[in-house]
Amino acid sequence: MHVEHVFRHEYGLLVATLSRRVGMQHVDIVEDAVQHAMMQALEFWCRDDIPENPSAWLHQVAYRQLLSAFRITKRRNALLAECSVTDDNESFEQPAVPLPGEMSDSLLRMLFVTCNDTIPVESQLVFTLKSLCGFSIREIALRLFITEENAYKRFSRARQHLKNTPVVLDTLTDSDMEARLSMVHRVLYLVFTEGYLSSHADTAIRMDLCVEAIRLVQLILESSFGDTPETNALLALLYLHLARMNARQDTSGELLLFEQQDRTEWDEQCIFKGLGFLERSAQGGIVSRYHVEASIAAEHCLAPSFKQTRWDKIVRSYEILEHIAPSALHGLNRAVAMAEWQGPGAGLAVLQSLNIPGWLDRSYHWHAVHADLQYRCGDVDLARDIAEQAIKSAPTDDIKRLLYKRLGKCGLSSQAG
Amino acid sequence: MSNKTYMCILRSESGDCEKPSPSEMELMYAKYQKWQEEFSGNIVDIGNKLGGSGRVVRRDGVQDGPFIELKEIIGGYMTLSAATLDDATVVIQASPMIASPGVSVEIREICSH
Repeated sequence: MHVEHVFRHEYGLLVATLSRRVGMQHVDIVEDAVQHAMMQALEFWCRDDIPENPSAWLHQVAYRQLLSAFRITKRRNALLAECSVTDDNESFEQPAVPLPGEMSDSLLRMLFVTCNDTIPVESQLVFTLKSLCGFSIREIALRLFITEENAYKRFSRARQHLKNTPVVLDTLTDSDMEARLSMVHRVLYLVFTEGYLSSHADTAIRMDLCVEAIRLVQLILESSFGDTPETNALLALLYLHLARMNARQDTSGELLLFEQQDRTEWDEQCIFKGLGFLERSAQGGIVSRYHVEASIAAEHCLAPSFKQTRWDKIVRSYEILEHIAPSALHGLNRAVAMAEWQGPGAGLAVLQSLNIPGWLDRSYHWHAVHADLQYRCGDVDLARDIAEQAIKSAPTDDIKRLLYKRLGKCGLSSQAG
Repeated sequence: MSNKTYMCILRSESGDCEKPSPSEMELMYAKYQKWQEEFSGNIVDIGNKLGGSGRVVRRDGVQDGPFIELKEIIGGYMTLSAATLDDATVVIQASPMIASPGVSVEIREICSH
């Protein structure tokens, strides 16, 4: 068996399976037990061969550790009562190895318990990454560009909620799960975009989050309730984005402008998969934001070149998107597409018609697009001022260099970089 | 020239260090595998971890561990085969064990006739 991701993948499965057995209120004891089992695995597997069934091995060690933790904290009796098993019950000491399907079912259930609207969405996100995807608080902070303290706060908030209102994972019915499906979609979409859009220099780190999101969406798709048009559209979108991820950097790791990307670097297999899910998503009368975003991504993937992109279709899609999921960012993207379709003046007009929220007004995205359009419309002085603002608000050196590439024509003073 | 055998004693500072996450463990595992493969000719016995409690026996009595007066606790051992102490040092320096903060490895030749 390939061990590459055994630790991370088994972590979420084990935490969910054991939490299902002993109750969500014990989730931190469960996490400690699973962590302990993995440390043991690290030690034994390095020395001897990997057991034939690593998953069963980990489950058994984690389960024993969990029992002994309960003994130590003298909560075992309470636990035994909860689980209606007696001390002399052998099967409790020697648990049957759960079937793989049973474990992924537990993982899904836990994901659906986490994603409920009484927990702030950013806490749902951190809890999912920590407890189900196996990232540490430090790694999450690194990946989400937040402080460790903040990441921990968000995590504790979700955990506290789950402990205070313990839901037995088995009580969630298929219709409960269906009702929460859109919230789970949103969190997994966030996991993906945190990886995809983040300006983190290390592609491998960003790729991790994207692949995790795809794995979990795939799991939902395979469940009894998850094969909906939205789930298919979301998966299509993720694959169509992932397909182009590697082409965003040149061989030296430098970020590339979209129009400079080498389209032969795009991953055809991912595109193929994405288009397949997009086709499957076109059932029923539902058009979700994922449908629209996936169709925009598909337009880019299918266009033979930047120039030959069907910008008119993209502009219309962004209009629909602004309607379904209002965000000034969609407007900004529409302005960019409009400039390609009907010229920079039309793009600038779209930009100036938008209502800009403060967070976007302070971001380099906004300034960069604005500077580019002003320059192309001929106002070089104004373009230069705005470009300098864009570079000043860029979060990383990589992005600063990218902006230089794009906006250097505006005649920037060299000291800005 | 035949190789000498060295006992390597791993010490780590007591106290709770931050536990690695599964994704960090994945990385550690990969590093260990690579290291073991690279130096398979040198590793005689990959050794074992030592338990956290124990006992010190002296003429005038027996003292239970953990040995709290020591800042560093002996956590494990392994035996290496190498031509010289310098060669054994190279093997240990390349190992992922010493990557963790607070860990040191003492290398001593096992003297045999």
